[in-house]
Formats: sequence, C-alpha cells, structure tokens
Amino acid sequence: MMTRKALSRRTLLRGVGTAIALPALDAMAPAFASSQLPGPKPVRMAFVYVPNGIDMRHWTPENDGALPAELPRILKPLEAYKQDITLLSNLTHNGGRALLDGAGDHGRCCGGYLSGIQPRKSFVDIKAGISMDQIVANAMASKTRFGSLEVGLEDARQAGDCDSGYSCAYTNNLSWRSETQPLPPILDPRALFERLFGTGAELSPEARARQAKYRRSILDFVMGDTRKLEMELGPTDRRKLDEYMSSIRSIEQQLERAEKDNAQINPGMDKPYGVPADFAEHFKLMTDMITVAFRADISRVVTFLVTREGSSRPYREIGIPDGHHPLTHHMNKPDLMEKVTQINEYHMKQFAGWVEKLKSAKEGDSNLLENSMIVYGAGLSDGNRHTHEDLPTLIAGQGGGYIKSGRRISYRRETPMSNLFLTMMDRMGVHVDHFGDATGRVAGLDLA
Amino acid sequence: MIVMIRNFGLAVISLGIMAAQTQDFSGAVKPVLLKSCAPCHNGRNASGSVNIAPFTEAGSLGEYRDDWERIIRKIKTGEMPPKGFPRPAQAQIDGLLHYVHAEFEKADAKIKPDPGRVTARRLNRSEYTNTIRDLLQVDFRADQDFPTDDSGFGFDNIGDVLTISPMLMEKYLNAAEKIAARALGLDPLPKRPIEIELHSKDKKIRRVAPSLIEGMQRVEWDAEYTIEIGLPGERIGGKPVLLGFWMDGKLLHTQPIETKPSGLVYFNPYSVETFRVFLPAGEHRFRAGFIDDEFVKTLASEDLYKDKKNKFLNMIKLVGPYATKQEPASRKALLICDPNRGTVCVEKILGNLARRAWRRPVTAAEVKSLAGFVGMAKREGQSTEQGLQVAITAMLVSPHFLFRIERDLYPKDPTRTHPITQLELATRLSYFLWSSMPDEELMKLAELGKLRDRAVLDGQVKRMLEDPKSASLAANFAGQWLETRNLSVVKPDPKKFPEWNPELRDAMQEETRLFFEAVLRENLSVSTFLDAKFTFLNETLARHYGMKDVKGPEFRRVELTGSQRGGILTQASVLTVSSYPTRTSPVIRGKYILQNVFGAPPPPPPPDVPTLDEEAVGNAGSLRQQLEKHRSNAMCASCHNRMDTLGFALENYDGTGKWRDLDGKFAIEPAGTLPSGKSFQNPAELRVALAGDLAEFSHSLTEKMLTYALGRGLERYDRRTVAGITTSLAQSGNRFQTMIYEVVRSLPFQTKRAEYKKQELAKQ
Repeated sequence: MMTRKALSRRTLLRGVGTAIALPALDAMAPAFASSQLPGPKPVRMAFVYVPNGIDMRHWTPENDGALPAELPRILKPLEAYKQDITLLSNLTHNGGRALLDGAGDHGRCCGGYLSGIQPRKSFVDIKAGISMDQIVANAMASKTRFGSLEVGLEDARQAGDCDSGYSCAYTNNLSWRSETQPLPPILDPRALFERLFGTGAELSPEARARQAKYRRSILDFVMGDTRKLEMELGPTDRRKLDEYMSSIRSIEQQLERAEKDNAQINPGMDKPYGVPADFAEHFKLMTDMITVAFRADISRVVTFLVTREGSSRPYREIGIPDGHHPLTHHMNKPDLMEKVTQINEYHMKQFAGWVEKLKSAKEGDSNLLENSMIVYGAGLSDGNRHTHEDLPTLIAGQGGGYIKSGRRISYRRETPMSNLFLTMMDRMGVHVDHFGDATGRVAGLDLA
Repeated sequence: MIVMIRNFGLAVISLGIMAAQTQDFSGAVKPVLLKSCAPCHNGRNASGSVNIAPFTEAGSLGEYRDDWERIIRKIKTGEMPPKGFPRPAQAQIDGLLHYVHAEFEKADAKIKPDPGRVTARRLNRSEYTNTIRDLLQVDFRADQDFPTDDSGFGFDNIGDVLTISPMLMEKYLNAAEKIAARALGLDPLPKRPIEIELHSKDKKIRRVAPSLIEGMQRVEWDAEYTIEIGLPGERIGGKPVLLGFWMDGKLLHTQPIETKPSGLVYFNPYSVETFRVFLPAGEHRFRAGFIDDEFVKTLASEDLYKDKKNKFLNMIKLVGPYATKQEPASRKALLICDPNRGTVCVEKILGNLARRAWRRPVTAAEVKSLAGFVGMAKREGQSTEQGLQVAITAMLVSPHFLFRIERDLYPKDPTRTHPITQLELATRLSYFLWSSMPDEELMKLAELGKLRDRAVLDGQVKRMLEDPKSASLAANFAGQWLETRNLSVVKPDPKKFPEWNPELRDAMQEETRLFFEAVLRENLSVSTFLDAKFTFLNETLARHYGMKDVKGPEFRRVELTGSQRGGILTQASVLTVSSYPTRTSPVIRGKYILQNVFGAPPPPPPPDVPTLDEEAVGNAGSLRQQLEKHRSNAMCASCHNRMDTLGFALENYDGTGKWRDLDGKFAIEPAGTLPSGKSFQNPAELRVALAGDLAEFSHSLTEKMLTYALGRGLERYDRRTVAGITTSLAQSGNRFQTMIYEVVRSLPFQTKRAEYKKQELAKQ
C-alpha cells in the first residue's frame, strides 16, 4: 500500500489551478490522510437544508419499520440506497412557532433550525443560538483543518426585508458560531475550491512556509492592536471586535494545523470557473468538493443551505417558471401542489447523486456514506400552512456503523428536533448535557 | 418596545403631562375608543390580538407610544374601523387625531436631545472595493470575492448587522496579500502565457446585436494581454468599419478593419484582428463589436451570419499575461521615495499609507512595528519591496482599516453628548457620500480642525456631491431604497416576457441610476421622484416603453410628453422588482409604495389567512375582480384596501414594466383613492396626486437617508432630527440636496455619546 508520501509534491501540485484533469478520486485515495489509516474511521456529519417545507403526502411512508418496496414519490431517487437511509417522523422545532411573536415562520424555522431555540424577532439586534454543528466544529478544531464548512447555492437577497421583521441573517444562514454571529455559506464553487485546496498559486515548500510565517506575525500584530483597541470600547463595539478576534484565532488554528499536516490535497478536479448557471451542476460541484474534504479528512462537519429559506427561485430547469415560495402557498390547488412536489423531487434527485458519490467512495473496507450522518430536511413540514411539527427529516449513512438504517422511526409527537441533535453530537464524540429545547436523546437510532 | 425602555425617562415625564389633561382625554379620545374600537378589540374577543382597554387611560399615550402610533395610523388611513362597521363622525376623528398629535408633540419636545450611538461599522463590500480603489489604485471587486453583507433597515451599511466570520477573515487575509502584491506590481506572473478562447461554437459568447458579441471571463493577473477577435465573412463592396473592444462597459481599444472580399473562392472568408491591452485582475464582461455599423441595418435578418453576405464577429481570445512595460500607477503612487535606500524611506512610505488606510494620524510606534515586517522579510532573504508587501497586508487586515470605530469621550457616562472628532467626521462624510475613504483634502481640513466650520463643511459637501465618486449614492442608497439592486436576482419568465434579456435589465438599472443622479446633481425637488417630465433612455429601453425616436445604445435625457411615464413608479426597474416572475402583483406593488414612498409598510399578514387566488386572474375575471372578492373579508380588507388600491393603479404596467391596456382579456381599471382621500382615475393622476402632497414622502425619504448616513436604525429621539430636516427641506422648495446638507449638519451625524449598559435595554 502506498503511504502518504508516495506521491511526489509535483504530482500533487499539478492538478491545482490548471486545466489538466487528474484521475478520479479513487486513484489518489491512498495518499489521503488519517481516514485511510487502519482502525475506526472518523464520523462525518452534514445537514442538507431545503426551504419552504416539503409535500409530506409524498414523503412519509405508511408504516414504521422497514421501508416499503416502493418509496413515496419524493424519496424515489433514493430507492437504490434505501438500505442506507433512516426516516424520522414527528420531530418538532417548537422555536419555529410564533409563540406570541407573530408572523415570520420562514425566518424563525431556519434561524433556529440547528440551535433548537426561537430567534429574536429583529432586523438588527439579531440573536439566535450557537448551532449544533458549531459545537461539534469547536471540538474538531484541533483535529481537522476546517472545523466546519458552510455551503449553499443561492445568493442572498440583496435589498428589502426578508421575513416579517426577521433579519435576512436568519434565512441566509444555517450555522451560527455564536448567538450573534451567523456563518454565511460559500456559494461560488471557485471560492470553495480555493478555500479547500489553495488559490492555485504554485508555491514552493519554502515559499509556503514563509507565507505561513508572515501570516502568523501579521495576525499577532493585529491581535495585539485589537486588544489595545478593545479596552477603550463600549460593549457592542467590543462584541464586534470579539467576533473579529475569534475569526483571527480560527485562522491561527488553521495555520497551526497546516503546519503539522502540510500535504497538499489533490482535489482530483479542475478549479471551477465560477457559479454555473445550471442548478444540478452547481449542486454537484459543491458536493463533489465536500466529498473530497470528507475523504481527505480536512473537515468533518458541513452545513448545506440548498437555497435560502423562503426562496422564490423559479425552476425552469424542470419547466417551472413560478417562484418556489409563492408556489408553496398553493391554496390546495392540485396543479400548484404538483409543481411543489416536482421541486421537492428535483432537490432529492440532486441529493441522491451525492449519496451515490459518498457510497462509492471507499474508505478502508467501508465507504464514506457508512461513516457519515447526512441529514436531509427542512425547517417546515407544510409550507402552505407553515407547520413546525413532523418536520421532514432523513439521515443518509450509518454514522460509522451506528445507525440501523433502512427503516422509518416515528417518535412520540412533538419530540424536539434538539433530541436528535444531542444524539448526533454524542456520535460525533461531543457530549453536551443541555441543548436547545431538548428533553433527552432520541432512542432507537442505533443497532442496540 | 426596546425603544421605550431605553427612554425610561420619557414615560415618567409624559405621564405627568397626561395627568394634567385627563379631562381632554376623556372628552376627545375615550368615547371614540369605547364606541368604535371596543366592540371587537376587548378583553374577551381581542380581534387581531388587540385589546383596546389599556388605551382608554390617558397615561397610555406616553406609556404605549408605539402602539398608539399604530392605532392613530389605522384610524387616519381609514383602515379602522373596517368597511361595514360604523365610522365615527369626521369631526370626532379629527378631534381625536388633533388631541393625540398635540400630546405627542409636547412629549417629544421634552425628550432630551440624544444623538444616539453608532456601532463600529465593518466596511461592507462596496465600501471595501471603493476604499481599495482610492487608497491603492487597485481594481479589486469585493462583490466577486466576499460573501453578501447582511442588511438591516433596508441597507447593508448598518454596523449592528455587519458581522465577521472566520471565512470572511480568511478572505480578508487572502485579498490583502493579493492587493498588496498588485499595488506594488509584485504579483508573480506565470512563466508561460495562457490562452483563453471564447467562441460562438462553444456557446461562450453571446450575440448582443448583429455586430456585437459579449463574453464573461475572469482574468487572474493585472497585466497585458493580446486580444484576438475572430471575424468571419465579407461584405460586398464593404467599407471599412471601426472595431471596438470594451471591458465592463468601458471602451479600451478601437481599430479600423477591412470588410472587403478577400477574393479567395475556395476558403471561407475569415480574418483575425489582434491588439494588446492592459487588463486588471477580476471577472470582466468583454465585448467586441463594430461601432456605428450602418451596413448591417441594410441586411435581411437571414443574411446576417452568411459569410458571403456579411462580416461579423464570432470569437474573443485572450492570450497572456505579459508583463507591462510601464510601471503600474499604483506602484508609482506608493513608492514616494526609494525604499532600498533605508529605513527612513520605508517608514515614510508606511506612515504615509497607514495614515490614509486607518483614516487617522499614526504614531511613531505604529510605524515602527509596521516597518518591522520589512526587516522580517529581509531576514528571510527577501527584498525590501516584498517586505513592504507584508506590511501593507498587515495594514489591510487591521481592525483600524476594516472597521470604522469612533471613540467615546465619556465612556462611563452615556448622558453626556460630545462632538465626534474632525477625522471621524471626515470619515462619516466620505462613507456617506462616496462609500469610500476620505481624500486628502478632507483629511487635511480635519487635521487642521477646520472641517466643523459651517462654510467649510457645506463647501465640502458641495465638492463631494460634484465629484463622480458620489455616484455611490445612486448605487448604494438608491439601489437599496428602490430595491433596484434586486434586478440582478429577479428572473422574469422568458415565456411570458420574451423581451427580457441582460441588455434590457442593464438599461432598466441605468435609467434609474441616471435619473436619481440627475435629481441629486441638479438639486431638483424630491417630488421629481414621484412625477417627472424627463427620464433617461437608450433605444433598448425606449422600445420597451413603446417610444420610437430614441436610437442607439447610449443613454440620453428624454423629455416625456405622453402620460404613461414619469418618476420612479413608472420606471421598468421598479416595476420589475415588484413583480412575480410570471405576472404582476398589485399586492407587492402596493406594499412597495407604502414602504418606499410612504414609509409605512403594512404589517405582515396574520397566519392562516386564505391566500389570494391570483392564479385565476385573466381567466375567471380580472385580477381586480379577484382581489375584490378576497377583500370581502373585513380582516383582510383593512390592509389590502390600502395596498391593493395603490398596486392596481400600476396594473397598466406588466411584470417587466411594459405598458398594457388589457389584463388577459379584461380591461385594466386603475382608478382608486389614496389614503389621504384623494382619488385618481389612472396612473398619471396618481403621480400628480402623490407629488402634490409630499409630507409623508419627504418624511420617509429623510428617515431612509438618515438611516443610511448614520449606519443605524432610527430611534424615538431621532424624530426631532427628522422633523427638523423635513421642515428645512420644505422651506427650500423640497430641493433634494437640502436633505443631504441637513443630514450632515444634524445632531446625530455630528455628535455621539457612550453606550447605555445592556440591562437598560434588556428585554428578551
């Protein structure tokens, strides 16, 4: 078996930023990091979020237990991977509900999706909660180059308000590093490529080391400055600079890790040009890169906001010129409901493509899907009525041989989504006592 | 509610006033509430979650001011009591309004003037781009590289919502390294040039017009590139034409070319024109075309791309980068002395730049530590210039550059107001009017302590407005106020709107931009926004508007003689961003007008209301008839009456702003009544009515301008400032520039105070 050093640096560098397509992922697999070493594989976790709810008539199978021979319509694209998915029913996000805060279900359901709280209704004074992916990411900081990755496909709305008094921050972001600091998703495949695999400049090892050294001293310099500055400031300004400093610290950590593990990663793909016009291609590019990041173990935590909550994107790719959000307020008209279902199917088809890719990525004698928990879901169930119970939720993968998949589990009604998050955090090795509105762990996911 | 608690003093004071006048309250207010509101809004049956009981006490005027303002608005606009319920006599309503307004005014006069406090603002993408341009002469496009900035109160320069994430910090660091290298001309070029071909056969170019092609391409380095243009075909007896090459709308190169037959019989006629130009790094829109090409206009459309009939274009090729022979201007400006001659010069360069980058004088110690990077690079065996690059990088990721932070003079005592420093004032001014850093003149005046002199300050505002950099007000203020920035995001259905294409979209954007700039630069009345006798058009947009006399791609001022167009509400940009992809929406447009013209957005719909059946429109009746049906529900009607009336008035404009007389097979019925009671028969009369009563519009525009200028949302104590500005505005004949001068002179723009501690605001 080849060791990590088996490929020369030249070979590794050549693929970056040039037009030479390199062999597919598998050819390079042995050169990858710890994920290829013998022993237990790291568990990866991702959330794929789709907006405006899902047509539950075509999502939920009739019975609990083993999934039926024929899956409901929206899940059909996953048929080939039926044994790898687990469908969870009756999970609720209570914080998405109005609870005397009035309209704004889209803002709330997304803003608090991963934190299990109710976001503050505000344009300015935004406050959600730290999201569970970030709790895990903090724990991963010493293990992988990127604690987490945030990606998406749809550009933020540029002007106007987002949802009935809720800041756009709530609908544009899934991950929250702190109560007040959302993490915007990367939308441009090129930007994601550069973040993961470098800008494409062919730096010699010496130049790379020098760059790291310069960066470290630049960061030292600005940190020192900021500390001095902070002492003179009021609480809100100080909070702004705290965000700045914590971001600087995360770059310092990255530099440290890069020093320990300075192997260049060969993405096995060309540097993307920019944002492709085609939705499916965009989806594929982003998930291809996440797959590489998982394989190379440079990150284990991903949130993927497919499109913004409340998105009014039309889907001309499948002959739907109407905006997604207006369509979901379909007044129970069959032709409009049909279009919503078609959009749901279309999203799922793209997701199935990713599941296939993860499954075909071998990792020792298992595969990447087996070692992952990829949650696919939405913050609303019925997008027409804005309901926050029985949220459409499925997990692809077994979380490292932990989840007994291929079935549907119905929990007691109103079981908090946070219970699932606590359970998943356990699986990621991060033990937290309280989270969001959790009342405990969810049972029955595991083999036992 | 937060506002009320912050002004905890207010409630106490106003309660006192109210107590003295209980008599009036029980005469003028209470009976109306009990008779007309209480039947629905009571303890048992709080319709719309409103119980009027607490408001029947005089003290409530001070205590629940925000709620009272909502009540007043509803009564004033006739929203409440809803249609079908008995309405109090007009005299009674007038009495109530008069009394309450007088009480509000009294209470407001008692509020201690408070400039409020602006949170440290991170540069947003456009500010970053402009600042880099003005600081280093480097063409860096932050919008292509950084994530979208969040916005609050409709603008993306609000300190409170401009957050920073690790990803953005990484981008700042990468960008700073690259920008520093580019400024010094040190960005290493690849050893061998790269060839990029944009060819029609690969669908990498788009035909904008028969003799104009376009392609998008990212260029990685500031350098020279050889451009090749592919020109198939020939023209019989063809005269030479002028070939032009544009980048992002800017003409970079022209050269005459032959179009005559080559005489070759067995080959397809084809020629290539080659020239060399300098291109800055970034993603660009390249165009190649023939300028003033009269010949193609004589051709039948089927002959346009036959190579025996016409010479046309089918390829743009870029080969490069090649090192420029000239020293880049940015480098020349930066190296004010020869840094290789020693520390004195290095420190001079860095000190000079840091003062501008950080918008304040720098200390000797700061310069020393920046120069330390040069020493470090030299110890690494690198050149002085490479060291400068590291130092500049550090400067650009420093919080002093990325944030606009203003110091508190009395950090412990938020009740004490003080003027911001002159440098802070210079910075506020330049980011308000230019979305960029202060220039040397502003910096000098501030350093000399002259900027606060009234005549000097006014002179500076005048100078800044005349500077082309004030175009940022159109891009950033108007683009967000009028939501025309969304033009790049909207996607009208090509089946319903086949004329929609990038040219039309750009033309729409340009019209509104030029129009806003004209009102600003010519200092016209703000009523011009609502009803104007002129606009700016090119052929593309004029055709869209059904106007025949405008020819050619250039924009020009056009006097409007007909009744269809005039003012922002009839501009295609605004009409498009307020429509659905497949059709118009009177509801969205009505909301748009309430929000952006009257500054009084309707509340969001209550949950579980049946959504309007807009789909049946044009089939089962006109949209208007459909909506009327929907509004038979009193609860919906109270808001929709207001919104829809305004939206319907614009139904003559389709989803991309084209004029129409029919909606499907039904006639358009644009007539309606304004909240003020004025009625109108058609959009032209609506415009006249709107422009005739500017009070609400001026108020709302002033609020937006002040929000944008300060970078924070407005609070209760800002009302006095807004009222003062609108009064001056009216006295000046509503001249738009008056608003800008008054904003700059205002208390919250000129002064500040420390922040109140959190617990005084805490209400979660």
